[in-house]
Amino acid sequence: MTNRFDIQNAPPLRAEPRAMAAPSPGVQSVPATPGGLIRSTLIAAGAAGAILVLFWLPAEYNIDPTGIGALTGLTEMGEIKQQLAAEAEADAQALAASAVTAPAAPAPAGAAVPSEVIERLDRIDAQLAAIAALIGAPPTPVEPVAETLVAPEPVPEVAAAPAPDPVEAAVAEAAAPETGPEWRDEVSYTLPPGEGVEVKLVMEEGQIARFAWTANGGVVNFDLHGDGRGQNQSYEQGRAVPEQSGELLAAFTGNHGWFWRNRSDAPVTVTLRTGGEYTDLKAP
Amino acid sequence: MTPSSRALLRPPVPWPALAALGTFLACLLFTGAALAHNVTEGDAGYVQEVTGFRPIAFIYLGAKHMVTGYDHLLFLAGVVFFVYRTKNIAIYVSIFAIGHSVTMIAGVWWSISINAYIIDAIIAFSVVYKALDNLGAFRLWFGVQPNTKAATLIFGLLHGFGLATKIQSYEISPDGLLGNLIAFNVGVEIGQLMALALILLEMTQWRARPAFARQAYVANVLMMVAGFALMGLQITGYFVA
Repeated sequence: MTNRFDIQNAPPLRAEPRAMAAPSPGVQSVPATPGGLIRSTLIAAGAAGAILVLFWLPAEYNIDPTGIGALTGLTEMGEIKQQLAAEAEADAQALAASAVTAPAAPAPAGAAVPSEVIERLDRIDAQLAAIAALIGAPPTPVEPVAETLVAPEPVPEVAAAPAPDPVEAAVAEAAAPETGPEWRDEVSYTLPPGEGVEVKLVMEEGQIARFAWTANGGVVNFDLHGDGRGQNQSYEQGRAVPEQSGELLAAFTGNHGWFWRNRSDAPVTVTLRTGGEYTDLKAP
Repeated sequence: MTPSSRALLRPPVPWPALAALGTFLACLLFTGAALAHNVTEGDAGYVQEVTGFRPIAFIYLGAKHMVTGYDHLLFLAGVVFFVYRTKNIAIYVSIFAIGHSVTMIAGVWWSISINAYIIDAIIAFSVVYKALDNLGAFRLWFGVQPNTKAATLIFGLLHGFGLATKIQSYEISPDGLLGNLIAFNVGVEIGQLMALALILLEMTQWRARPAFARQAYVANVLMMVAGFALMGLQITGYFVA
């Protein structure tokens, strides 16, 4: 047993290559030198790091230390993916929670916090946690503060800059607005870029509600869908749509309505008017 | 027939070999990160809906998982990279198969699960290890050649934990569990043989090229790049999720 650090007994430098361990039988190899291989390994690690930092982490996790992901648009992809993942998880949790507290009659408005609100707060919490994890700050708990209820008139223009509260939605809800007998309800939300809002009508199977919504000059993505009694159905989806009106036929008893999301760069105000057959309008 | 003697006959441009490498890297890109290690959303949904013994369905899912699981495939490609004889290929592939079968079935059966990001990072590390091993790094740096078969078995066991962790995350029904697990495993082996057939087809062509000796080095370094990048992605995922 020779001591490899024993200078006296060490083999002379530049001697024959050290007697190498034999490669495994049946396995070929390729000529390489120790130094060259170290360099190759470092190059491989460096290349992997560059791929990660420039492309992969921005596109998958919205992590963009160099800022190049923002230029290429990959960071936006990561942001949307993270947001969707957080929302999917929040939905799954809400679904699990509602399965437990299941088929109670719809709570009268105002008696309890509507499940949509809780669902939405869960989503916000999840998003905040995701953001906090990224910026390394602890998430501050979000108090379930009721949204400001504003008088029937169309929303006063809300500050354009994205506010800290992601659901910066000014709500205007009125039982009998001045739009006349045609419409029963009108709600309006100002959505900062990237934010969404969900409004549902409580309907019996076969009921027909009339609706008209507009993004007031902007465009929004929407998903017109229904859920209730374990059923779930998407009636229609659209991207970058300025407005829509028509009738909504409830395929089953439950909540039917819209999820709008603003994917544009500027705040968009969505105004919804509804009439016809439905028991209640559930809005955040 | 040694690679080094062939390296003396260098053609101008090794197009077939480059094409093979290009195809391989393109496959990596197109499978996409979402497919990396997932039985996809639809498959997961299916697994959660059904009960009872469904051999064909689970064979299909196992094969699909293997064919689309590029970290498994990278390791497999690394294992057979320098193994030329059919008999030796069969031995190494069998060792890998035994390894991942044992831990996959045992892991699900006894509910042993490891964090998915950590096990996937370990699987990615196995790719780096195999690439270094192929380049003789451990002989050059430390003067020892770790037993290649033992390493294949150990990493096979670890890959199996990855499979087990994934299956468990889908809440597979206890009804018909063992049969379905075995079916899934049979599917994994079928998928592996399918992928191996393609890998060997390319490798055989490539090895016959005089430039293989030169490109083999680069190919293993590129394998390291893929392994390091996957490791980074999984470790980041662990901290983000």
